[in-house]
Amino acid sequence: MTDDKDVLRDVWFGRIPTCFTLYQDEITEREAEPYYLLLPRVSYLTLVTDKVKKHFQKAMRQEDVSEIWFEYEGTPLKWHYPIGLLFDLLASSSALPWNITVHFKSFPEKDLLHCPSKDAVEAHFMSCMKEADALKHKSQVINEMQKKDHKQLWMGLQNDRFDQFWAINRKLMEYPPEENGFRYIPFRIYQTTTERPFIQKLFRPVAADGQLHTLGDLLKEVCPSAVTAEDGEKKNQVMIHGIEPMLETPLQWLSEHLSYPDNFLHISIVPQSTD
Amino acid sequence: MEDEFFGEKSFQHYCAEFIKHSQQIGDGWEWKTAKDCSDGYMCKTQFQIKNGTTTSHRGTPASVHTCLPTEENLELTVDDSEVMESAAASQVIKYEYHVVYSCSYQVPVLYFRASFLDGRPLALKDIWEGVHECYKTRLLQGPWDTITQQWRTCLGLFHSVGCAPVPALLRELIEHPILGQPFFVLHPCKTNEFMTAVLKNPQKINRNVNYITSWLSIMGPVVGLNLPLSYAKATSQDE
Repeated sequence: MTDDKDVLRDVWFGRIPTCFTLYQDEITEREAEPYYLLLPRVSYLTLVTDKVKKHFQKAMRQEDVSEIWFEYEGTPLKWHYPIGLLFDLLASSSALPWNITVHFKSFPEKDLLHCPSKDAVEAHFMSCMKEADALKHKSQVINEMQKKDHKQLWMGLQNDRFDQFWAINRKLMEYPPEENGFRYIPFRIYQTTTERPFIQKLFRPVAADGQLHTLGDLLKEVCPSAVTAEDGEKKNQVMIHGIEPMLETPLQWLSEHLSYPDNFLHISIVPQSTD
Repeated sequence: MEDEFFGEKSFQHYCAEFIKHSQQIGDGWEWKTAKDCSDGYMCKTQFQIKNGTTTSHRGTPASVHTCLPTEENLELTVDDSEVMESAAASQVIKYEYHVVYSCSYQVPVLYFRASFLDGRPLALKDIWEGVHECYKTRLLQGPWDTITQQWRTCLGLFHSVGCAPVPALLRELIEHPILGQPFFVLHPCKTNEFMTAVLKNPQKINRNVNYITSWLSIMGPVVGLNLPLSYAKATSQDE
């Protein structure tokens, strides 16, 4: 019988086989071969693609290189979204490897945030963690931590160190014994069909009568159009980390075990795949 | 779920009151509803002329900003000969301010961005450079002494809080939660703290306060957004 803790490891070590190809209009001095890499689902593009950048820069002149950005089938990829979320949302129905196009020109200012350095990724990551704790514990747990604990969370993510990360993160997964869960569940629901980038609302893990709310309860409340229609046919897949959890799963459990390192449940709603 | 200090319904109510007054004085604020949802945000667009050359007047700062409420008013400046001289070197900058509710922190958040008329965005340091003068002038104007004192403390809070690991990262570039486009933002995590301090006094003397008016009067000037004093008077007269 799988221990719940094993789920944490499975989530952390999830990988997506990816093929990076240089955009054909980039000016190269020599042929740039595609570059293959296993991307960590729980990390961020600009954090794990140094080797990709170096590989393609070798084929280009210094003056033709400015800020790197990535695109999948014409959609610029937001570096501030976790990699696994981007894949689930945009490419989960396509065959592997995930084919990403690399650009060094014409940065799409209207669509993408700039990522000037790793510090920007750290700032964004910590900002998400703080927001998650604002929802779970009114920021009490994260504010009580010392700067070195915050640093350890970041270093754990950056260096792919599960134990280092969870030594601190486990504190963010606790709740007072008299409660049955967090104050509110940090979640974001993404769909490519809406203009709005995501849905985020206040939602409690426990109902007034003490019953644990489920994933199905959450979807019915904040995103009813996305779940099963009247005719009973399943239109969409509700995906987290590449899997479809049962709608009966308690939301509190999902939050404790299937959150990304930023402590948010990033949920993708994608059209039901035909295969 | 309105058991908190400032719920979303309160936010919408105060914004509606705020916009009512804005319409009366032609200050340009409006409410935008999100397409697929019942929520929305408050926004205002403002145009400024940025003069890149030093003016002939001694003591005038090298970068002079003339704040104009609407695009139509640009034509009015043609009468001003001083502006005419440097018209060739000046550029029009479009500022957008959005007031969006954060359910995570249960406070309003100020999003802003600036761009040239051709769409080129301004970097944060250019925006900051631009508002420095307005901010300084603001600080010197009475009768805002109490507010500015608290405001200095607030800025101190922002600097020392370390909202982000990069020191003095007062404002971050993030994704607008409804539009999905890059905006700068004044980080909301300490808003509750200073708003509690700000609202305590008027509540003691039973004066009615519009949360949004108070909040925006503190946050706004830091990013070049000024509120005419009539907003404060409007609130007292409301009830």
